[in-house]
Amino acid sequence: MDGRVIVITSGKGGVGKTTTNANIGTALAKEGKKVVMIDTDLGLRNLDLLLGLENRIVYTIVDVVEERCKLKQALVKDKKNPNLCLLAAAQTRDKTAVTEEQLKDICEQLKKDFDFILVDCPAGIEQGFQNAVAGASEAIVVTTPEMSAVRDADRIIGLLEAKEEIKSYKLLLNRVRPNLIKSNDMMSVDDVVEILSADLIGIIPEDTGIITSTNKGEPIVNDEKSLAGKAYKNVARRIMGEDVPFLNLEEDNSLVGKMKKFFSGLMGKEK
Amino acid sequence: MEQGYIENGFIVDVSNAKKTSEIIYQLSTILDLPDAHCKKVCLKLGEIDLSASELMSIKALVESMNSEIEFVTTLSRTTADAAIEIGLKVSELENKVQAPDFNQDKEEANAANKELEKALDKIFGENNFDEQTFHPEKEMKKLKAESENVENTEKAPELNEFKTEAEIVEDETPAMQEEPEIAEPSSVIAPEFSEHIVTQEQDNVDEELKEEFAQLEDFNRQLDEVNKEVIDAYDNEEEKDDEFAQLQKSLRETEKLPTLYIQRTLRSGQSITAEGNIVVIGDVNPGSEIKAKGDITVWGVLGGIAHAGADGNKYARIRALKMHAIQLRIADVFARRPDSINIPYIQRSATFTPEEAKVKHKQIIISKMYEN
Repeated sequence: MDGRVIVITSGKGGVGKTTTNANIGTALAKEGKKVVMIDTDLGLRNLDLLLGLENRIVYTIVDVVEERCKLKQALVKDKKNPNLCLLAAAQTRDKTAVTEEQLKDICEQLKKDFDFILVDCPAGIEQGFQNAVAGASEAIVVTTPEMSAVRDADRIIGLLEAKEEIKSYKLLLNRVRPNLIKSNDMMSVDDVVEILSADLIGIIPEDTGIITSTNKGEPIVNDEKSLAGKAYKNVARRIMGEDVPFLNLEEDNSLVGKMKKFFSGLMGKEK
Repeated sequence: MEQGYIENGFIVDVSNAKKTSEIIYQLSTILDLPDAHCKKVCLKLGEIDLSASELMSIKALVESMNSEIEFVTTLSRTTADAAIEIGLKVSELENKVQAPDFNQDKEEANAANKELEKALDKIFGENNFDEQTFHPEKEMKKLKAESENVENTEKAPELNEFKTEAEIVEDETPAMQEEPEIAEPSSVIAPEFSEHIVTQEQDNVDEELKEEFAQLEDFNRQLDEVNKEVIDAYDNEEEKDDEFAQLQKSLRETEKLPTLYIQRTLRSGQSITAEGNIVVIGDVNPGSEIKAKGDITVWGVLGGIAHAGADGNKYARIRALKMHAIQLRIADVFARRPDSINIPYIQRSATFTPEEAKVKHKQIIISKMYEN
């Protein structure tokens, strides 16, 4: 098995790297792929919280690097999906505890056993970023339709392009609010894509359900009803190579809108 | 306790202390004074024998206050040796270790020592625990012997005596309270009857007694049954005694270790490792780690990872005012917070239930701590 190593990065903090990682990972695992997530945000780890695995972590990536345990011992299995594993970051250490070579080595080892290796990158462009990117061959750049996040994403894309190992990078637009775009208060998806001139892999709508899911430690893709969950599932399918159309975010959620949709559906079938 | 100031330092007189904990307590109250920081401390110890590790913990305490021990004076040879062993200066001037004079007042001294030992045993020793533990059992045996006497000799005095005994037992063993008729016979024959009076008036009361005796035999049977029950109960409590022994053992093992005091909140990402016990006055937030070779006590909310008995001491314990730990580890036993428990986002609350985690049957058990 030759797994794909995908780094999920953004430059700016708080745009949803970790949430994206947890959800894409869970969605891929639900599709039957073997997935391992690596948290490289040493000292500020969160991925375990989002997955609700905080209480199961015994060994971390630093223990692996410093040879206190074997790599397989440090992989924490997900509560529900046995296809999903987490290699947690150490909370009590800082970014210097792991080097680029060591992370590369870990990725190489994991490639043999997993289909996907998702690397959660810390914010910033310092050593942490360099470490996270070291083993990856693909990248997903997460950004939000805000000027500051887009600017940082631009910087990150520049750095990624300079890396030989990164074969391709995709853009994921997070926290999109169709209403604000409609009223011209937010950059539209097209604006962002134009500024960054990168391929889009997903558009995730703003969803208050994310907050609850984060606090519960349950990725939102497990919630069948959530729009954001659906969007993340689509991203996962696109990563697997399927051609999935983007969700229509301007979906009218009012009763009239739903009726309209229902009837237009019926009409479509009749034709 | 007297304290005098010397140049850039001061003397702490703890010569009246009989225990390490007393020294540490007195020392810490003095070192807590604002004037006491960054000073040299001359420690005046009394006759107490301190081991090297105990002295180390005292030294660590002083150093944690940014002070240092300049020299130590002591009357005990053991302490002096230990102090030299860990590199503490023992004062040349005042350190006149009294060599015990064996010829003079030998017997007197021995007797005094023995008395002292007895007194100490009463206060601190194990004998005290044994007495407490087995006292009711001894009482039980005595009682049994008494009841046999009653059956064999059928004499009033014993009966009388027996009844008073029975009353004692009644008070001490709750199981007996289920027998309301126990009280009856004793009320007929006044318990204050002294032995010889009863013997003199035996003929007069004989008839009465025979009636009473029928009742008493009935009562005896019941008593035997209850005795059996109680003794059975004691057999079952042997396990509890084991636990008690374990507690004592753990106390002894971890008492020897130095203790690290941390008087602040441990935040995410901070980790503390100690060679001895750790006492945190404050919270231990999620994401932090404490690892100690001895016990861990958190005077606050324990929300992180705690590892007690890190070098394999399975008698080590973890105590906290509020146990919200993500993971608990004692020696090589591991426990994690159940997934089903929804820890509130805000952990502080008005009610604290002090809890203690220990290893039992290779599992970590958390139980509430009571005042015993």
